[in-house]
Amino acid sequence: MALDQTHTTLAVILCVLCLAGCVQAVPPDLLVALEAIDQDLIALRAPEAAPEEYRQFVRQWVALKARVQLDDDLIRWPWEATDLENELRRLYITSERTVSQLHERQASQHRTAQATVARLEEQLHVITSRVEAIDGRILLGERVVQTDLLVKQARSFFEQKDFQRAMHAAEKADHALKAQTALLSQELGRYADENQIASWQTMARQTIEWSRIHQSTAIVVSKADRELMLYKSGRRVLSYPVRLGFNGMLEKQVQGDGATPEGRYRVTDKRGQGQTQFYRALALDYPNAEDRRRFNYAKKLGRISSAKGIGGQIEIHGADNELLARTLGCIMLDNPNMAMLFEGVSVGTPVTIVGALTRENAVALALSELAQRRNQI
Amino acid sequence: MLRTASFVSLALTLIMIAGCAEPPTQEIQEAEKALKDAQESGAATYSAEEYAKLEGTLTALRKEVTDQDEKFTLFRDYGKAQQLSASAKADSERIKTAATLKKEEAKAAALQAQQVAEEAVKATQDLVAKAPVGKDRAAVEAIRNDVDGLKSLLKQVQASIDKEDYPAAQTQAKAIHDMSQGVSTEIQHALAKVGKGRSPRKR
Repeated sequence: MALDQTHTTLAVILCVLCLAGCVQAVPPDLLVALEAIDQDLIALRAPEAAPEEYRQFVRQWVALKARVQLDDDLIRWPWEATDLENELRRLYITSERTVSQLHERQASQHRTAQATVARLEEQLHVITSRVEAIDGRILLGERVVQTDLLVKQARSFFEQKDFQRAMHAAEKADHALKAQTALLSQELGRYADENQIASWQTMARQTIEWSRIHQSTAIVVSKADRELMLYKSGRRVLSYPVRLGFNGMLEKQVQGDGATPEGRYRVTDKRGQGQTQFYRALALDYPNAEDRRRFNYAKKLGRISSAKGIGGQIEIHGADNELLARTLGCIMLDNPNMAMLFEGVSVGTPVTIVGALTRENAVALALSELAQRRNQI
Repeated sequence: MLRTASFVSLALTLIMIAGCAEPPTQEIQEAEKALKDAQESGAATYSAEEYAKLEGTLTALRKEVTDQDEKFTLFRDYGKAQQLSASAKADSERIKTAATLKKEEAKAAALQAQQVAEEAVKATQDLVAKAPVGKDRAAVEAIRNDVDGLKSLLKQVQASIDKEDYPAAQTQAKAIHDMSQGVSTEIQHALAKVGKGRSPRKR
């Protein structure tokens, strides 16, 4: 009886031991957890955003998974520690840390890219409006749309959560914006140049002095402030807002450049009703001898194409179309103002057109603001 | 005695045969080539996750071969290596096909976006062509400048397509399309001004 009992007990112990020996080499929940880590990494776009980290994880994960599959038929005792399980646990701990780091990194990249793209868009908006205000759009040429494209690309990549590319496009847009403002400073820098302004002030002062001495009328136009001033006997009697050429802030060089000329001119003809399409017009003697000398010199130096002409038919005129903001190079006034000016001016009246009369002129202020913004970009 | 000798020689022969296990060199080379093919098909970009796993399998395969090579000749077993190389080969074929498909999809999307952008720029150009050429052209001169810019930007889209950077081409084309529409609206406003604001002729 006792022997039977002993046999039964031994049989039970053996069965338990056999069953226990059949435990799987690796706990299945550990594999599930690692599979979940892999999915988390994929969701975080680790293969693209952090390829090195993902490669490291995958290298170990694939190797261990292969070992799990190949070791599946091995039997071990429950108390027997396996290297494989330990390695899987180590991988789990390391990759959990990687997921958390990637999560933080991605959140930080998201914040940085969001702030950068938003700041860039704001800068572009402000710069575009300043450029528009100083008629710099044509001067910048294709750079305007190129920069716009880069900013839009940065936004697009950001929305696709491709923060690296968003930042790359933003960086290129940054450079493009800086290049734009640098070009504007180079081309329009004379509006902030004290010597140049002093020279323009002298020209205006001499014209006013002439008006005083000859007890006659004279006109001074400041391009930067888009203002025409009428002087009688050396005293300013009227001031009118004007519209200029579509490239008005530049110094006129060739026909069709849209620039408004600078220099000392005279009214050569008064064109009244029926004689001009622009309500009333005062024809100027552009190009004068100085303009021709400058033009020929530039041509000789090759700065101007030999096929280009110097242009002409520069007038102070009224508006054929009140809605048009720019001319081809002439100085345009609203019709009521033009009527008053037309009455007060005779043929021979001196017209001095200068870039600016003060250091705080509109172009210099805009350039200064753009320079400040350029440093902030 | 003779029987015992036969058993011993048979056992030795078997051991020798087992001991002469060779690494599956050809399979490994095929797996390596398959990985290279997958990479060339753009898998690293278009199936980044699966490509990384394939690289992982190849690393595991190389390690397994090295581990076995380091063992005493009689105990070498390249069965695992064979399994891994077969699995890598099969996976790489699948990844290559998937990557090629995804790349083709990206290319098609980029080409479609390019076409839409080209049409938008063309429409804008046509609108500019209708703009006045006389003194009123000052109203659209700045815009004309932008249209020229848009035309050159289309070259950038083509350059991205040529470089097979389809995501960049797509974002560029979309931006050009949006910008063209903006410029078209601007031209329409400018043209409306040209027509509307004119003073009655007093001749």
